Amino acid sequence: MSGLDAVKKIVETEAQARRIVDEASAKAQQIISEARDQAERIRQEANARAEQRREETLREAKEKAEAEARQSDQETEQNLDTYRKLSEERKAAAVSKAVELVLNA
Amino acid sequence: MSESLDKLQNRIFSDAKLKAEETIKDAQAKSQQILEEARRRAQKESEEIITKANVDAESIRRGILSSKVRMNRLRILDEKNRIVQDIIHTVEDRLSSIGKSEQFEDTAQRFVTEAVKAVDSDQPVVRIGFRDVTKKNLDGISRVLSKGGKLVIDEKPIDGLGGVVATDPEGKVIFNNTFKSRLERLDNQLLTLISSTVFSE
Repeated sequence: MSGLDAVKKIVETEAQARRIVDEASAKAQQIISEARDQAERIRQEANARAEQRREETLREAKEKAEAEARQSDQETEQNLDTYRKLSEERKAAAVSKAVELVLNA
Repeated sequence: MSESLDKLQNRIFSDAKLKAEETIKDAQAKSQQILEEARRRAQKESEEIITKANVDAESIRRGILSSKVRMNRLRILDEKNRIVQDIIHTVEDRLSSIGKSEQFEDTAQRFVTEAVKAVDSDQPVVRIGFRDVTKKNLDGISRVLSKGGKLVIDEKPIDGLGGVVATDPEGKVIFNNTFKSRLERLDNQLLTLISSTVFSE
């Protein structure tokens, strides 16, 4: 093999070596790019789950409060009934006492 | 020379492969790091969203409940007020028709005495007016007045419900002893009395 052939061979070999390194570099960039895409998906999915849970939490709180509000309404209706009955039973006595107070104070 | 060339070629390939492997390995390590960081960040963001949701939920619950409780307290107060006002109206009716009752003369005399005393004049002017009461019913009142006193009888009940108004001769000192004035003066006591009678346990 002549010296010129040997140099050609070396140049070809180095070119092949550069291709190997370049391909690895491209593959490495692809790996990182895919990792970034996957990371964004992970974040978005986690946020979506958290937002869904947030909506559920707010809906449950609203339903619970509305149930407690209905209970408050019922208790109020009972109290109103009680006061109406008391006023029917005790109105005459209250009127008599008030008249006495106005006349004799 | 051929052998040396083969060795050199192998060395070049070997270096290139080694570098390629390191590049891929670094990329995989960085990829792993990116994913771990993403998971940590996602976890943190999720926790923040859920923590804020719990705070918002409690705020919504309190808002709905406090609004309802406030509204129901107002309903109770309105109803109590309606009941008390109904009783006050009945009291006013009862007072305005006192002219027909046996209590009338005593009451009228007492009202006149109180009014005259309050005005503190030798020549008081006493105006009196009750519903369903005629001059004849008021004969006893004249006895309560001193000699210098003057009695004016209104045909209509004074202030709507009836009563007595005394003044000095110049009209500078006035004591209003009508039922309406007495009701106003006794307003707080009446509300307490009626409320405790009707609503106490």
